[in-house]
Amino acid sequence: MARGNKEILAKLEQIVGPEYVSNEEANLIPYSWDLTWAEPRMPDYVVMPKTVTEIQRILRLANHQKIPVIPYVNATNIGGLCVPEEGGIIMDLKRMDQIIKIDPETCYAVIEPGVSHAQLSAALKATNPQWEGVEFSKGFEFGWGVHPASASVLAMAINHGIGHLNGRLGINSQLLSSMEVVLPTAEVVKIGSCAYSDSWHSFLPLPRMDGLFTGWMGTTGIVTKLGLWIFPIRPYRDVLTIAAASAKDITKYMVHWRHYSLCDEVTAVSWWLAQIPITFPYKDKPKDAPEFFSYTVISGWTEEELEYKRKMWKKVVQEEKARGTQLIDFEYPEEAKRGRTELPSRIVGSTKNYSKSCGGGLAWPGTFAPCKSWPILYEKWKEIYIRHGLSPATRFTDYQGAHYGMLRCMTPFDKRNPESVKAARDAMVECVRAGIPLGMLPYKPPVEYMNELNAAADAGYVYLMTKIKDMLDPNNIMNPGKLGVR
Amino acid sequence: MALELKNTSLKELAKLYDYISMCTHCGNCKYGYEWGKTGNFAAMLCVQGDKYNFDSYRGSRGKAAIAKGLLSNKLQWSDAVSHVLFTCTGCGACQQMCETDIKPYILRMFEALRSEAWKQNVAIPEGIKKWSSTIGVNRNPYLEKHENRLDWLPSSIRSSLPKKAEYIYFAGCTASYRQKSVALATVKLLQKLKVDFTVSEDEWCCASPLLRTGQYDLAKEFVEHNKELPEKYGASGFITTCAGCYRTLSRDYKMDPPEGYIDKFGKMENVKVVHTIQLIEEMLNKGEIEFTGSFNSTVTYHDPCHLGRHAEVYEAPRNVLKAIPGVNLVEMYRNRKFSFCCGAGGGVRGGFADYSLETSAKRVREAESTGASVLTSTCPFCWRNLTDAIEMTKSPLKMVDIVEILEPIVKRK
Repeated sequence: MARGNKEILAKLEQIVGPEYVSNEEANLIPYSWDLTWAEPRMPDYVVMPKTVTEIQRILRLANHQKIPVIPYVNATNIGGLCVPEEGGIIMDLKRMDQIIKIDPETCYAVIEPGVSHAQLSAALKATNPQWEGVEFSKGFEFGWGVHPASASVLAMAINHGIGHLNGRLGINSQLLSSMEVVLPTAEVVKIGSCAYSDSWHSFLPLPRMDGLFTGWMGTTGIVTKLGLWIFPIRPYRDVLTIAAASAKDITKYMVHWRHYSLCDEVTAVSWWLAQIPITFPYKDKPKDAPEFFSYTVISGWTEEELEYKRKMWKKVVQEEKARGTQLIDFEYPEEAKRGRTELPSRIVGSTKNYSKSCGGGLAWPGTFAPCKSWPILYEKWKEIYIRHGLSPATRFTDYQGAHYGMLRCMTPFDKRNPESVKAARDAMVECVRAGIPLGMLPYKPPVEYMNELNAAADAGYVYLMTKIKDMLDPNNIMNPGKLGVR
Repeated sequence: MALELKNTSLKELAKLYDYISMCTHCGNCKYGYEWGKTGNFAAMLCVQGDKYNFDSYRGSRGKAAIAKGLLSNKLQWSDAVSHVLFTCTGCGACQQMCETDIKPYILRMFEALRSEAWKQNVAIPEGIKKWSSTIGVNRNPYLEKHENRLDWLPSSIRSSLPKKAEYIYFAGCTASYRQKSVALATVKLLQKLKVDFTVSEDEWCCASPLLRTGQYDLAKEFVEHNKELPEKYGASGFITTCAGCYRTLSRDYKMDPPEGYIDKFGKMENVKVVHTIQLIEEMLNKGEIEFTGSFNSTVTYHDPCHLGRHAEVYEAPRNVLKAIPGVNLVEMYRNRKFSFCCGAGGGVRGGFADYSLETSAKRVREAESTGASVLTSTCPFCWRNLTDAIEMTKSPLKMVDIVEILEPIVKRK
């Protein structure tokens, strides 16, 4: 069965070649849904450009015909971002998969949208930090998050994805250095140092126009090349673990520990998230089990540096215990520790831990929240989740010191059962509604979350967002429906 | 969004609905990856996705989406659905990468989808339809006469074989009708090594092509026929040189689903199934083989999917190659569980000859990149497809089965 119309199909075929465009439902259906409870929406075409010129031509056609265009690589965003709300063209960018440059002296890489975490991690590990041919150490890394290795590095980074260096360096969109974008109206623009030379090392000191394309969920243009900072792999790593009796206790410990900026990451997970798989449907935690478990990853250039960090961590733990914080000594199993250092990880990234045997659904409320809100919101969310028969499988992660962090609840649900889907969606939307007044901002937000955000937003903010969107995308062809304002 | 089971008329598929629903759409299956201390492995492993690119074709996620679509009535059968289903070689790379609970059922799902396709009014590849229409008579998918099956076996050897033996050498259709040199080298090798074996006068296709293309009803009589052979010859086991036969006899005839098909055909009890390469490795380990010559070449080994990923036999061929005097074994980047299919399996060579050959040419180029002069394997079907690619691309590589390397240079100690 075919969708769309033959004239548009023929034009798309002229642009990319007939083997790279389809309007057959058999080829469209995998693009119609994702892991989440987002309602399936069938696109009318899928097209796979290889070049910037092809993208420009597709966008000109889409503007002329007023057809929506949804940029896509792997659709593992857990937000329904690539589900085409109004049909149209899925622009699958997987063929644009070149690592254009790795500069081991200035420490940046330039990639296309189809480059996966698998590809980039392998290439970076094989490249050694150096200056004028003198190598300093082995391999580079970027922020590898909890996602399948097939996921796009570019898509993850421009949507404020997280990585294993968040505690030390911030989220991945803070590690970007330059970009090339095709605007919705098909002009190609370069942003950052690459606008002036072939050096893709920095957005600064220029105006931060990259902000027009990060966090916009593909509604303002198509990023076709991305410069990102890469970091030498530190040869010494350790994972230190502890548990706590409550969200309040674990937050106290995390805030204290991250104060010293000594770790690559510090994360806590509730008892339910520590279960493999997450218990589904909800069941009570054993009374004697800790409410939270936490790991922190430390790294260093020498064993002495690592030992210093271990000593500082122990000092924090001792001081917290002395002041009554209920911390419980707890060692993670070795496999779980490896899962935090051997990244990108197939196991962690597979959603195995999250949705095993429960019917394939996975979504979350969250993620950006001030740490002061973590324990308060955890208690609220826990009540909401238990009421809906779901496990409050919650995670706190610090992002780069004291400023902000992650609060989210990984939520498996059963896609075979409409009641289960509804319960998950209702619980998560309620959590978002409860979170926004306490500073929580959902990232990669599904439409339902975006509606909650817009309802609570400063009117001027929504006005500016709408104005920018209208300026960049006058025909509203780019991923329409996702911002909740157009 | 719920994906409810609404179309229960798709019986083979509906049985797997609970497992299919475990596919989270995460996409791990779309690309080969593994973390390593000094280097990460990253490469495209999906033959079908490498060719056709759309998500429907790449890894198991797309096919699971099609299965879910069909079962929930969100997708109707079409020729395009059939094309996605029948261009998969069933190499198992996506299954290797998967970490969710659909993992063990992925290949069974592919075959169930195909079995349903036969019942629909959709385009089945002509090449597959052609051999399927005669296999019931010919007992092979090569449109060859059944009575010619043993033509590869010289009468001098045939007459010397015992009526009863410990093993039956199960040559398989490809070595019997096409790569006869592999079958001949195998019996000569087994005789030199004084293995107690015979060759059946009435071997039928193992049913691998039928099972892999979802033709369960046709497969039944083949499985039932071959299961009787050991008793007829007083044998306790089968020896195969074909990876496809090995996979079928050792798993489909003997194992519970999802690995095997004993739910449909019953279990072949008390029959050992060994691939020649396993037998040789065992004899080498026992010190029963003496080399009388050498094979002075740089060799790279192609893992057949049916022996490798399907049956996890990775080291036996390598151990044997390393034991051969003169062999310098070099590996392709994609090897063992991360091997890249030759492009022949799953009915693809018969159904889509050009695409199949294009795939094997990719593998040949990878083999060339190792600097090897010899490409070797343990499957006559891979042998055929890789040889065709070597000829097409005018590659300097020489294709040789490991039994062909061994046969001239060994004797029993």
